[in-house]
Amino acid sequence: MTITVQFFSYFKDLTGIDELTRDVPDGCTLGKLHDDLCAEYSKLQEMSRATLLAVGVDYQPREFVLSDGDVVSLFPPVQGG
Amino acid sequence: MKRSLAISPDFIDEAELINARSASDGMGAVIYFSGIVRAQEGDSTISALDYEAFQQMAERQFELIFDAIEKKWPIESIRLIHRTGVVKVNESSLWVEVIAPHRGEAFEACQWLIDEMKRTVTIWKKPVE
Repeated sequence: MTITVQFFSYFKDLTGIDELTRDVPDGCTLGKLHDDLCAEYSKLQEMSRATLLAVGVDYQPREFVLSDGDVVSLFPPVQGG
Repeated sequence: MKRSLAISPDFIDEAELINARSASDGMGAVIYFSGIVRAQEGDSTISALDYEAFQQMAERQFELIFDAIEKKWPIESIRLIHRTGVVKVNESSLWVEVIAPHRGEAFEACQWLIDEMKRTVTIWKKPVE
């Protein structure tokens, strides 16, 4: 399955990119993908406990099972207002 | 409940928005909230804040907040505008209007809306010196 990952706010600076794609096995969870990205980008690991995770336009728990074509977003706590 | 939502780089013209107010005869409370960019951000003096939105998700999260408000309070309408891009000191970055029959539910809904926005709506800001 191919998953698109987007980064927002200063997570773009932590990774040096806005977006990437990853091939993941069937049954891969959002949490597993996040863990893999943290292993790849050490600065993301430092923020892992404060990271918010979304699939499409909805927040999802780490147990969420991904589907082919999903767009995953990683970002720090929001700051509107 | 009527809803109007805009997440936009356009300047917020508060006078024009107030002139466009529309409330039915049974409404006794109109709350306006305007969030203004301060010159102090922590220990630094800034000239502006630069807002970034994950626009589609922000719109979705605002709609979820509006859905919840509609279930909790008898609100007739909400209008909300949030700026994106560079917003200078003293300019409004967030403008909210809540119209309800009585002030209690209008104040509560407005407060709750902004608290929830700060928890879930995908907008970030960074200081501009």
